Amino acid sequence: MTREEIIRSCLIFATGLFLLAFTLGPFIWMIWISLADRADFLVTGQVEYSLSNYRQVLTAHSLHFLDYLSNSLWISTITAIIVTLFSSMAAYAVSRMRFPGRSVVPLLILAMSMFPQISIVGYLFEMFSKAGLINSHMALILPYIAWTIPIALWINMSYFTQIPLDLDKAALVDGASRMKVLYKIIFPLALPGIFSSALLVFIACFNEFLFAIMLTIDYTAQTLPVGIALFQGLHGEIPWGNLMAASAIASVPLVILTLIFQRYIVAGLMGGAVKG
Amino acid sequence: MASDNFLQQYEKSEVRTAWIFIAPLLLVVGIFVLVPVLGTFYTSLFLDVSYLPEQFVGLRNYTDLLSSPDFWQALRFTLAYTVAAVTLEAFFGVMFALLLNEVFPGRGLLRVVILIPWAIPTIVSARTWQLIYEYTYGIMNYLVVNSGLVSERINWLGTEFGAFSALVLADVWKTTPFVVLILLAGLQAIPEDIYQQAKVDGAGLFRRFYKITLPMLMPVLVISLIFRTIDSLRMFDLVYVLTGGGPGGSTRTLSYLGFEAFANDNFGMGSTVSVVTFVVAFAITLVYLKAGKFSEQLK
Repeated sequence: MTREEIIRSCLIFATGLFLLAFTLGPFIWMIWISLADRADFLVTGQVEYSLSNYRQVLTAHSLHFLDYLSNSLWISTITAIIVTLFSSMAAYAVSRMRFPGRSVVPLLILAMSMFPQISIVGYLFEMFSKAGLINSHMALILPYIAWTIPIALWINMSYFTQIPLDLDKAALVDGASRMKVLYKIIFPLALPGIFSSALLVFIACFNEFLFAIMLTIDYTAQTLPVGIALFQGLHGEIPWGNLMAASAIASVPLVILTLIFQRYIVAGLMGGAVKG
Repeated sequence: MASDNFLQQYEKSEVRTAWIFIAPLLLVVGIFVLVPVLGTFYTSLFLDVSYLPEQFVGLRNYTDLLSSPDFWQALRFTLAYTVAAVTLEAFFGVMFALLLNEVFPGRGLLRVVILIPWAIPTIVSARTWQLIYEYTYGIMNYLVVNSGLVSERINWLGTEFGAFSALVLADVWKTTPFVVLILLAGLQAIPEDIYQQAKVDGAGLFRRFYKITLPMLMPVLVISLIFRTIDSLRMFDLVYVLTGGGPGGSTRTLSYLGFEAFANDNFGMGSTVSVVTFVVAFAITLVYLKAGKFSEQLK
């Protein structure tokens, strides 16, 4: 080995080790505490491991953990489906049809995504209070659609433009409607892109916090992040074991989803980032 | 000529179908983004406190806000926090991206592992960090005390500097993966033969980094940092869980200040803070874009 190769190997080894410790450390700590019967074992030295924290979180009705989980899953799934539908229709029009304003629409939508959530949420609260929507699933689904649709539009557009226009023309000559072209031809061909945008939308909604805490009141509509942020013990002291078990259950599906569909997520993030 | 004109014109039915396709998107964004933004601006001109009738006050909320020390404290903290977090994210981002671009056993595993912090919901990671920073039995104090770095436990969330570092570190952990992903794509776009040529010319490892990698990575780095900056300027979740804006209001971000006003039923002032937050973020984005254009012209 030359001197340069030795330096290179050492650098790779050291950085790799650091990366592992840095990224996994907090995650391992979370799992560790969730399995322990007490959070202060570093000081007391006494500890026993079991799954009882998980059992408590999943069975104690007063914690409402399953309510938060199902609210989050419903809200994120419905949002992802509607966003996919609306954004693919718009992306189709913008990338494959001729009409005045086709170049303005995507930029306008992008500009809309520049507004911080805080500058939307106060007035949303007033709107939804008047409409009686506060503390309903709708109160989160509607703003989530508007909040995530710009990125979905841009990702889908970048995939749609790669498909040859001749395919549409041939189908249109054969008498197919635009809607049919979109769902029979474009949708299947751009499926990886549509899938990655849907996945990113789902994850964004599953993680969102500011809208969720402002527009909901109790476990009938509160999502997991709100439940976990407000998680209180019955006796004042934070029940770290339960809390970390809840955290682990909340993150494990996302981590697995991310690991399995890594390629789609990276493609989506890149598409959105480079275009944006 | 006539046929040319015909080609220039839009087909009426196509134009109608296109707008029908775009309508749902425009409608949703219009009602749930544009209307609330305009509504927020409108509300910011009113004295709008729950227990009093609304009253038009013009720009008084703005003058009140700009003369309140809380606002300047929040602005200072938001900017300092953004600069610290984004700088560290750029540093670790470049470091990890360079690593993951090399060929070595275990690279596939590391490329997957790096995504884990990104996938964990911010609130969940905030709660985990809260436990890590726990004064008596948190692992952070265990590590810094037992490794001999400091002699006494640090009050991470209860002192100004501790809380600042705690927030920055939690943010860096969560968002560095995003920077790494973008930089990795940038690295993969650099043609391999440039390096070969440089090697032939006798340029060493570090020289190749400074002369080739870094300059060619710059555009992608700037893009990722713009994204991170815009995001950090509106940060809310971490502060809510880790410090609640404390100690003594020293870690309130602009978004948190706005949230506090809304939570206290002061919608006029909350809206004013929100408008100012947007203006600050917008101004900084413009500066970034201007700087980007400027450096392009230099080339």
